Amino acid sequence: MGTLTIGCFASLVGSKSLDFALKLSKAAVDKGHKVNIWLSSNGTMMGKANQKHLKDYSTSEKYVKELLEKGVEICECEACALARGIQKPEAIQGIKWDAMHWYLAKIYNSDRVLQIGGE
Amino acid sequence: MKLGVFVNDYKTVTETVGRLTAEKLGLIFIQNGVFHATIKENGKSSYLLDKSANFYVLAEDLATRGLTDADVDKRVKVVNYGDVVDLIFNEYEQIIWI
Repeated sequence: MGTLTIGCFASLVGSKSLDFALKLSKAAVDKGHKVNIWLSSNGTMMGKANQKHLKDYSTSEKYVKELLEKGVEICECEACALARGIQKPEAIQGIKWDAMHWYLAKIYNSDRVLQIGGE
Repeated sequence: MKLGVFVNDYKTVTETVGRLTAEKLGLIFIQNGVFHATIKENGKSSYLLDKSANFYVLAEDLATRGLTDADVDKRVKVVNYGDVVDLIFNEYEQIIWI
């Protein structure tokens, strides 16, 4: 089994690319792989708590919590979040807050890395 | 190098992807990239399918767009998320997102 680290620099909640990252992570974990997710730039929106699930509108909080329970490590870029007005108490519980060195360390120790850019 | 490429758009990324070369190249069509596997403009398939590469398309993104396996070019293999994980770990050393 290997380790996959995904860097999500992609767009806001509701983004197809964030959906893809979450679904790919779940598939990898279900196959026994270790997964790390780095949320950066607008991707930090994915880590905000109290997302309202609306019909036909993709939200990520439920999926994120499920991944955390499965052992996926998710870390939010603290500076990116703060710059967007997201405070740490507003984050989904279990998500780490750290700086770019967290992502670099995970990349260094991963078998595969996928960086999903902004839209 | 064995390179896997996620292609997530139909119009904007074609030229860039078209220039990529690798010892082993895999193009994984996702999101609006699935149209490379399905659309024929003026009777011609996407020119990406003429590349020397392996082609895959994500079933869920086909279904989201009302497409089925029957719409997919014969050169392209329809895969699910689990298959994509296997491609990442078993078939390609480097994975990029375009």
